[in-house]
Amino acid sequence: MSQNANIADQTANWADERLGAAGALRKTANKVFPTHWSFMLGEIALYSFLILVLTGTYLTLFFDASMAEVRYNGSYTPLRGIEMSRAYSSTLNISFDVRGGLVIRQIHHWAALLFVAAIVVHLLRTFFTGAFRKPRELNWLLGVGLLVMGLLEGFAGYSLPDDLLSGTGLRIASAIMLSIPVVGTWVYFLVFGTEFPGTEIVGRLYIAHVLLVPGIIFALIALHLALVVKNKHTQFPGRGRTERNVVGVRMIPFFATKGGGLFMVVFAMLALLGGVAQINPIWLYGPYNPAQVSAGSQPDWYIGWLDGSTRLWPSWEIHAFNHTISPLFWPTIVMPGVIFTLLALYPFIEAKLTRDKAHHHLLQRPRDVPVRTGLGAMSIAFYLVLLMSGGNDLIAAEFDISLNAMTWIGRIGLLVAPPIAYWVTYRICLGLQRHDREVLEHGVETGIVKRLPHGEYIEVHQPLGPVDEHGHGTLEYAGTGVPKRLNQVSGLGRAIRGFFSPIEEPAAIEQEQERERELAGRPKDPQS
Amino acid sequence: MSDRDPSRSRDLTVDDLEEMSDSERFRAAAAQLDDVHVLSVHNPAPPDSKLGRRAERKVAACFLLTFVSVVAFIVIFVAWPWEFSPGDHSFFAYWTYTPALGICMALALFGLGAGIVLWGKLLMPHEEAVEYRHGNRSDELDRQTTAATMRDALVTTGLPRRKLLRRSLGLAGGAMGLLAVVPLGGLIKNPKRALFTTPWKEGARLVRYDGVPMRPQDMEPGALETVFPGVPGGTKSADAATMLIRLRPGQQIASRKGQEGFGWGDYVAFSKICTHAGCPVSLYEQQTGRILCPCHQSQFDVTLDAKPVFGPATRPLPMLPITVDSEGFFVARSDYREAIGPSFWERP
Amino acid sequence: MSQPTEPRPSRLARLRRRASGVLALGVALGAVGVGYAVLAPASHAQDDANQSVDVRMGEQLYNEGCITCHGRNLQGVHDRGPSLIGVGEAAVYFQVSTGRMPAVRQEAQVAAKKPRYTEEQVNQIAAYVQVNGGGPVIPSGDLHDGDVAEGGELFRLNCASCHNFAGRGGALSSGKQAPSLANANDKIIYSAMLTGPQNMPVFNDNQISPDQKRSIINYVQTLKDTNDPGGNGLGREGPVPEGLVIWVVGVGGLVAALLWIGAKS
Repeated sequence: MSQNANIADQTANWADERLGAAGALRKTANKVFPTHWSFMLGEIALYSFLILVLTGTYLTLFFDASMAEVRYNGSYTPLRGIEMSRAYSSTLNISFDVRGGLVIRQIHHWAALLFVAAIVVHLLRTFFTGAFRKPRELNWLLGVGLLVMGLLEGFAGYSLPDDLLSGTGLRIASAIMLSIPVVGTWVYFLVFGTEFPGTEIVGRLYIAHVLLVPGIIFALIALHLALVVKNKHTQFPGRGRTERNVVGVRMIPFFATKGGGLFMVVFAMLALLGGVAQINPIWLYGPYNPAQVSAGSQPDWYIGWLDGSTRLWPSWEIHAFNHTISPLFWPTIVMPGVIFTLLALYPFIEAKLTRDKAHHHLLQRPRDVPVRTGLGAMSIAFYLVLLMSGGNDLIAAEFDISLNAMTWIGRIGLLVAPPIAYWVTYRICLGLQRHDREVLEHGVETGIVKRLPHGEYIEVHQPLGPVDEHGHGTLEYAGTGVPKRLNQVSGLGRAIRGFFSPIEEPAAIEQEQERERELAGRPKDPQS
Repeated sequence: MSDRDPSRSRDLTVDDLEEMSDSERFRAAAAQLDDVHVLSVHNPAPPDSKLGRRAERKVAACFLLTFVSVVAFIVIFVAWPWEFSPGDHSFFAYWTYTPALGICMALALFGLGAGIVLWGKLLMPHEEAVEYRHGNRSDELDRQTTAATMRDALVTTGLPRRKLLRRSLGLAGGAMGLLAVVPLGGLIKNPKRALFTTPWKEGARLVRYDGVPMRPQDMEPGALETVFPGVPGGTKSADAATMLIRLRPGQQIASRKGQEGFGWGDYVAFSKICTHAGCPVSLYEQQTGRILCPCHQSQFDVTLDAKPVFGPATRPLPMLPITVDSEGFFVARSDYREAIGPSFWERP
Repeated sequence: MSQPTEPRPSRLARLRRRASGVLALGVALGAVGVGYAVLAPASHAQDDANQSVDVRMGEQLYNEGCITCHGRNLQGVHDRGPSLIGVGEAAVYFQVSTGRMPAVRQEAQVAAKKPRYTEEQVNQIAAYVQVNGGGPVIPSGDLHDGDVAEGGELFRLNCASCHNFAGRGGALSSGKQAPSLANANDKIIYSAMLTGPQNMPVFNDNQISPDQKRSIINYVQTLKDTNDPGGNGLGREGPVPEGLVIWVVGVGGLVAALLWIGAKS
């Protein structure tokens, strides 16, 4: 045995005598993960979070979360001599006077946008494939919690530099707090301490942003992943895949390789954006001043839907018994409250309505659950109208549409678009289902047109399996993709790979196909 | 088929390992101890094949890219002339600094990532493995014995029998809960009348952001100036910002009841803080007399006493009563007669 | 043909010729000096003459292009165009040099377009309007030599609410727009502040002093002339284009990467 192996053995021995973790480590290394690409969307969110922690820690070395007034004297001449908070001036310093500070700041901000976006895409994948069903409802709840925490964390971070744009956002946030019936003003003074803006809010948001919320997010992620390990990942139906097994690759080395590669690729994407695409140029916005505002003041994209709902809400204010309920209350507190509650409860609502109490580890194709898919499309349409309305002033200016017309387009679209989206999606799902059944019954189109003796022309169809006496296929639909073209049923060999010159031997491909045919004939289940 | 795989049994012993290679050991352990079975292994590139050598070169090129990019990053980080220089398109060093750093960093990370992915795809064997699920609920033995253990523990503590203990413990627990929350009471502040008042008061001059007081001859018809109360701290106050507007000839104000004569000549003054969400509403269109809020597009009509005419705002902008003092400067005749800014519960 | 041979000039003659050259130069210089002194008042008169030529040319242009809406003698036409008496050359410069005037039709807002008149013609119309009723005048000299930081503060207080933090413009009510300042030169910005064209409020010299106007112009032009230190500025429009980029480039690119990582090789 070589020297190195000896050292490795000794180290492992030293650790195991103290930890006794050898069995657990082997078990973890042997865990099987299914390999579908969409199962890695959540990982993008996870890696964004890690990148946020890394870059955020760097930024804390330079950021000063104080609202004390200073006169700026840094490198950015167009602001020199202007009074501003230390929070704002230290962010300017990160951008202009710290070597490489701007690129890290920009990576941090892009990572925040990606974090929430990846959570949303991951949520959509989970929703449309039915991955939230029993026994995974708890993990769905944790995921919704992560989404809400992501929004809070993002908004707190966006507010920290105390620039004109984020200050405007904070002012609106303060108005939203004030709008809560009965306790609104007390809530506002609890958070801000004094009349707006006061001198405390940035410090309080800072501790929430760097300790409180990330701590909660970290704990939720840990639980989220622990439940994935406990319940094992879901998988799409397919050859050899059942409700009782997981087919895929082992954690080490295969899944770890993919995951590690993906982490680097996600980080590379964010570094690229952080380098070449300018984000949140606070030096252009200027320091916050409650008397100033810029045209086209928007929040970051993930709060945009709430800005949109606020813009679209009609001017309804309730006055009764010398009290007032602000028109802000409904679109910014009630609406998101209802939406997040429905989102969190969806798995339970669906299980209740379908009376489904079974465990599910095999995923569904969206077309096979047209009602759920339709509801999802409806929600996306609703969300997109709100999101678009959050930037309707920019759309109006860019495409020369009246601002008032944009508001009405949003108001009407919000009521009309979701039902249309539901209906269209529902019909598409049924159409796709029918086509699958049709191919199973009649076979794949071959493109060969034949003339029958009595003169009729038909297209020859290739049956996918054995046929009955009428020539109809006897294969049942198995919840998985049905081949629609001949080359998908290995009727034709695949092309030899290579960009300029072939990099494969034709013989190797034949061997590969031989092996595949062999595999196809063998069931996955070693017991049966 | 039961939840538990019948073939799963710990019949692998240390003695069995003697004769095995590492690969055989791993397979035996995975199958017999972890219930993981490797179904097929396919080696995409045998070590000495042309394909394998080519793949290895590809992966190595990726890793090399990372090394080169990191070196470039360090050189740029240290040596690039990066100091900011505004107003000069021809001086481009500073605006290539951040992109250069970002691109080097991205290339370095991408090289490593792509290398690892290609390594996995082109050089490592492709396997298909299957692992068995064993149901989500614990098995019946565990469930029943655990429940019994917990029930027994409860009885052992004596809680079910001792009423006094139970009640006093409940009381103590509740009190502890309060103890955790009450110190946060330091955050609570009584709002009192803070939201109903602004620094404006009788005789306060209308001053510009730099403290210069405004006179009637300072503005043309169709002009707008943001003014603040000429009191200490007035220009910093977030709720005092006010729009002083001089109407165009022909523009008439239809005053709200109780606000007649709040203006002075063709001058009127309205709060700049939107009654919807508190943004500064200063997008004044002097011909149409409309004021637009850039945050949620509420529109107010100055000639209708700043009544909201479009968008989500529900209340007119509060009007500041103004006059001109003996020295010819604009002054407020009082504070606003109503709370400025967004609505809240206590507001009538 | 025999060529007459010129006698070689003697040394003395060469010297004399040089001396006369110097003398001639001296006389010429003196004559210019005297001439300038004598003729200078005359050139003022020449200027006035040019001025009146400008006014006459301007009147001619006015009567061809503007009179339909603004009426005879700048009096205005009811429901078509306002009176131009007292609007001053600044207003004419802004409206005509940005192509807003002559307007094509009546609408919510007259948009900038390719100017119909040359800079010289604009000045002629401006001169004509100026002599009939006076009004705001654009000062000569460098219009953006002010304090850039003070200009920024004034810009954010008075201008950014409509024109956006970086002068990219924005939407106003019912189809009106605050235009982008991307193509506005110093004189256009100065004259806009001074005259408050269309729905823009007027900022006269008491409200924003000429020095402060120069500071604002300096700020606007400095921003335009400054490269974005963080890479592509994404139009300097704030979070909306940033959101588009993260979805299209970020999420789109990474999903492509996932397909590549997940694809069987």
